[in-house]
Amino acid sequence: MIKYVLLALMAGIVAGYVGNAEGSILVVNFVSEHLFDAFLILLLFVMGLSFGLDKDAVTTLRKTGVKLLIIPTATAVGSILAGLIGGLILGVNPIASMAVSAGYGWYTLTGPLIGELFGPYWGALGFAANFFRELITIIITPLAIRLDKYAPVASGGATTMDTTLPIIVRYCGTGMLTTSFSSGFILTLIAPFTIIGIASLR
Amino acid sequence: MGNPGGGKQVSNLINLIIPLIAGILLGYFLRNKKHLRLDKVIFWAIIVLIFSLGFSIGSNSKLLNSLPTVGVTAIIISVMTILFSMFFLKIARKAVKIE
Repeated sequence: MIKYVLLALMAGIVAGYVGNAEGSILVVNFVSEHLFDAFLILLLFVMGLSFGLDKDAVTTLRKTGVKLLIIPTATAVGSILAGLIGGLILGVNPIASMAVSAGYGWYTLTGPLIGELFGPYWGALGFAANFFRELITIIITPLAIRLDKYAPVASGGATTMDTTLPIIVRYCGTGMLTTSFSSGFILTLIAPFTIIGIASLR
Repeated sequence: MGNPGGGKQVSNLINLIIPLIAGILLGYFLRNKKHLRLDKVIFWAIIVLIFSLGFSIGSNSKLLNSLPTVGVTAIIISVMTILFSMFFLKIARKAVKIE
């Protein structure tokens, strides 16, 4: 599975690069926006369907309940602390690196927002670091699952509600669908607030 | 949605919740019907989705141009963020006993 995913990712990157260089904006917009959106919606529907069909998955959700909030909270705390310690180790502005980590993988938000708050260098870094979080999660999910059942959900951060959701469900099972989606959803909601909150610490 | 990189806008998150809930409800009502084979559909949807994710990365010259200057720092922060998130979730799970 992961082999085909990485092949599709690489083929996409090459095709996107060529498409952009050729300057065909219509094609670029179509593939990276409309095709993406259409298949994301289809995939969410089909995964929801297979979740509803799975009797065990519904039982798991009932048993977990409110504890679902613990997962995004732990992920957020871990992320922000990693930003602080990472910033201190690398000898860069620890507030800025905390804000970068508080993007939870949502790079299209974090890039522009951090750029606005901390300047273009940090904007680029916020973009790249959060992009790598998504990419690394896609690559390591088959391995991370051996470490801990929930490790891919922690790794994916805000991306576990869309881009990394299919990979996580594929490897962790349908039972992880609502856990993964709700964690990604909550982190997506709080990302702008935590980034701006951290920036106000300066 | 509609911004590159599979990004999402908070105002449009509802667009993602509706198909998910519709699918769950439909599946819930169909669960006593004969077995549906969804694996193939999910597989191909993932492949197309990941391809278009790659496409939006490859066609994003701003992102590609930023990688040489910030790449190493970004990877270090990213890897640390992932490891700390996993570690904290593991501790939290043990503390509140999430199966």
